[in-house]
Amino acid sequence: MSNKPIKQIKVKDISEDIEQLAEIDPQKLVPLPPPYDKVEELPGFKRLKQDIIETQQTSLDGVLAVGIPRKVSEEEEKRYIELFISGLKKLFSQENNWTFLEPLVLSMEHCARCQTCNNDCPIYESSGYQEIYRPTYRAEILRKLYFKYVKPGVFNRFQHGDIELNWNLISRLFELTYRCTLCRRCAQSCPIGVDNGLITHELRKIFSSEMGLAPKELHEKGTVQQLEIGSSTGMNPLVVRDNLEFIDEDVSERLGIKVETKWDVEGADVLLIHNAGEIIAWPDNPAAFAIILDAAGITWTLSSDLVGYDGVNYGLFYDDVQLARIAHKHFEVAKKLKVKKIVMGECGHESKALGVIADRVFNDTIPRETAMTLMRDIVFSGKIKFDPEKNWFPVTLHDPCNLTRAMGVIEPQREVLRYLAPKFREMTPHGVRNYCCGGGSGFAIMSAYNFLDWRMHISGRKKFQQILEAFSDVAPGPEVPKYVCAPCSNCKGQIRDLFDFYGAKEKSGLFYAGLVELIVNAMVDIKVPFIDFDMM
Amino acid sequence: MVLIILTYFSVLFFLILIISKAYKLASSPVHLRWELYPVPHESKEKAAYGGSKLEEVNWWTKRHKKNLLGELTAMFSEIAFLKAVYEHNKDLWFGSYPFHFGLYLFIVNLFLMIIAGILNIIGIKINSEASGFWGFYFIILNIILWTGSTVGLIGSIRIMFSRIVDKDLSLYSTPSHYFNIFIIGMLYLTALLWLITQSQPVEQMITYYSSIFSFSINYSLPFIGILHTLIALFLFLYIPFTHMTHFFTKFFTYHKVRWEDEPNVKGSKMQEKIAKQLQNPVTWAAPHIGADGKKNWIAIVTQPINKEDLDVK
Repeated sequence: MSNKPIKQIKVKDISEDIEQLAEIDPQKLVPLPPPYDKVEELPGFKRLKQDIIETQQTSLDGVLAVGIPRKVSEEEEKRYIELFISGLKKLFSQENNWTFLEPLVLSMEHCARCQTCNNDCPIYESSGYQEIYRPTYRAEILRKLYFKYVKPGVFNRFQHGDIELNWNLISRLFELTYRCTLCRRCAQSCPIGVDNGLITHELRKIFSSEMGLAPKELHEKGTVQQLEIGSSTGMNPLVVRDNLEFIDEDVSERLGIKVETKWDVEGADVLLIHNAGEIIAWPDNPAAFAIILDAAGITWTLSSDLVGYDGVNYGLFYDDVQLARIAHKHFEVAKKLKVKKIVMGECGHESKALGVIADRVFNDTIPRETAMTLMRDIVFSGKIKFDPEKNWFPVTLHDPCNLTRAMGVIEPQREVLRYLAPKFREMTPHGVRNYCCGGGSGFAIMSAYNFLDWRMHISGRKKFQQILEAFSDVAPGPEVPKYVCAPCSNCKGQIRDLFDFYGAKEKSGLFYAGLVELIVNAMVDIKVPFIDFDMM
Repeated sequence: MVLIILTYFSVLFFLILIISKAYKLASSPVHLRWELYPVPHESKEKAAYGGSKLEEVNWWTKRHKKNLLGELTAMFSEIAFLKAVYEHNKDLWFGSYPFHFGLYLFIVNLFLMIIAGILNIIGIKINSEASGFWGFYFIILNIILWTGSTVGLIGSIRIMFSRIVDKDLSLYSTPSHYFNIFIIGMLYLTALLWLITQSQPVEQMITYYSSIFSFSINYSLPFIGILHTLIALFLFLYIPFTHMTHFFTKFFTYHKVRWEDEPNVKGSKMQEKIAKQLQNPVTWAAPHIGADGKKNWIAIVTQPINKEDLDVK
């Protein structure tokens, strides 16, 4: 590779022998509010070791999310190009991609390149406007390839320009598809209705479904492990029951009430499917669900069948077949237990995958709803007594993109918070125009190499800034605990990492958890504080 | 006569291509739900903050009526005022809006001219001497033409300037983007010059439209009029091959994707279509898919998978 300095990067440069297309310099990023405004006092950006740089494709931005060889032999390059082209053609075929063909073709053929979407992308903005993170950058690459290989025409070069398909492009593009959280904020602003988030999603599909390339965290440790063992966390049915039994005992002892998880109850009103990450990382969340559902007198159950106890469906982010396989298992479990409905726990992508997307993957489904609606219903049903003053601390709400922008579930969680958290305040912007936590589309579980640094410095920057600003009217230090309600496991994972990375608990008294914890904390019958900031 | 034949050919060609493209899109397979909120056909109060029926407990047991007025209002403000560009890219809007507004006025003019042309054949003359309603009609035609060509030309110059000067735009512009603005700018310019240089330009236009519908050559166009007409006819031939078809495909991006939230209900047409689509053979090549070109979607996703195939390469 030549040693050209980083210049004004153009779309076609993705194929060129350029040392690196973008350089992340923390000094040039959008500044954070105090006390996080002094760059030299913040954690730096990990530079990759020389041996990694020499072997892995780091020439996109010096960051590695997925890891793919920097160079391949001529023969291998030829094979990958052929595979990429065949995947590209299948992506535009009814047989393989009926699932997204119409929206994809519409987005491919009608973009006016007006760049109206650009300023709505938190990654592009937070990075200090790095060209490769522009929402239209990767979309334009696919568009050029589409008009070159799938829909060739005499005037295509005049209309769409040209691009060279080589290993540089394939390997960099693979990395680049994992620099967008698929939050679809850019799609909201497109006057024509072009969806760059969808384009990234579809690009990921070429790599996974045709070329067998996907991040380990999403594929091998994600969907594959979930289908084989039962959960992307690695918990098999025996372990998950053990873990919940332990949680039940622990919380029962702490609160002095009986907390009991229900398993495999046939004919239950509700089959509750948690994101199994809650059981491992935030055990108070499944415990809070058990307390609320029992107090409301609802017959509910978890399933101990393979996949039935984990609502995670990373297929949503990269592979329709894997998505459908997991959704199929969820429906099978619900049918077996003859439940009246499935309630999806506090997980945005689970809610979207099972609640909306899977609606058209199969024809024989079971009714589904999000935990937000059921919780609102319970809280205002009068079946449980609350003392909102028990939630005396300031609270703000993070809107998970999949719940809000993709499902329109905005108000139920707010109604609960307005009632049960007297010091509730909104972030700006919020609701359907929220900013992604920065961990969307699987990023929250991806931390290999220096990708965690990228998530913290770039994709999560806007959210961290918003959280700090939401509490700007209270004492900025740790003397007042500040609660970020994030009703989504992936978002919580990202917010946990952000707070750890920036030392936000120590510096600003920032804490995070879900909605159900606040509900239980406000219950009159629960005498011991359920939310204990000393333990968080 | 050549101009008249060219007119028939161009318009017919345009209609065939646009209708076939619309048909192709309309008969696309049912895709997975990919709606994006706010969805304006939700109830008025929900649409205001971007909420949906999924906010209601047991939502599938309740009747949800689509708020068509909400959809129409959203579509109208988007088309008539380019609302999204105004809200998210104001600088561009100052060029894009007059550019598009000029086209809207020209489209209105096209229909008014068709009517005037037909009326001319049956003896109703719309010209500077007409009085009463037809005199008013003549004034309206003049206002539309003068305003459309002037505003459109200003918009063309403004967005051409932006495309050249603004790095965000120039980096992503191909020769066709400049050409498109140029040719539409020329459409406005020639219309304006026609109005300026001729004493009875509107009458000339009406006579030309009459000729189209009477299959005659009873028209006489000045050079600038012929040039303007040729540019318009070229656009009829050219637009169907460009992204400018967004003037109608926007219906699909909004109604069939962004706002498409129809649940898959038992016994519905959608269910029938999905059942057929699930029979599609899968040929994705990655080993974990387990496709052999014969197995269909339903088999691929419901049958047990070989463990070795699931492992990544």
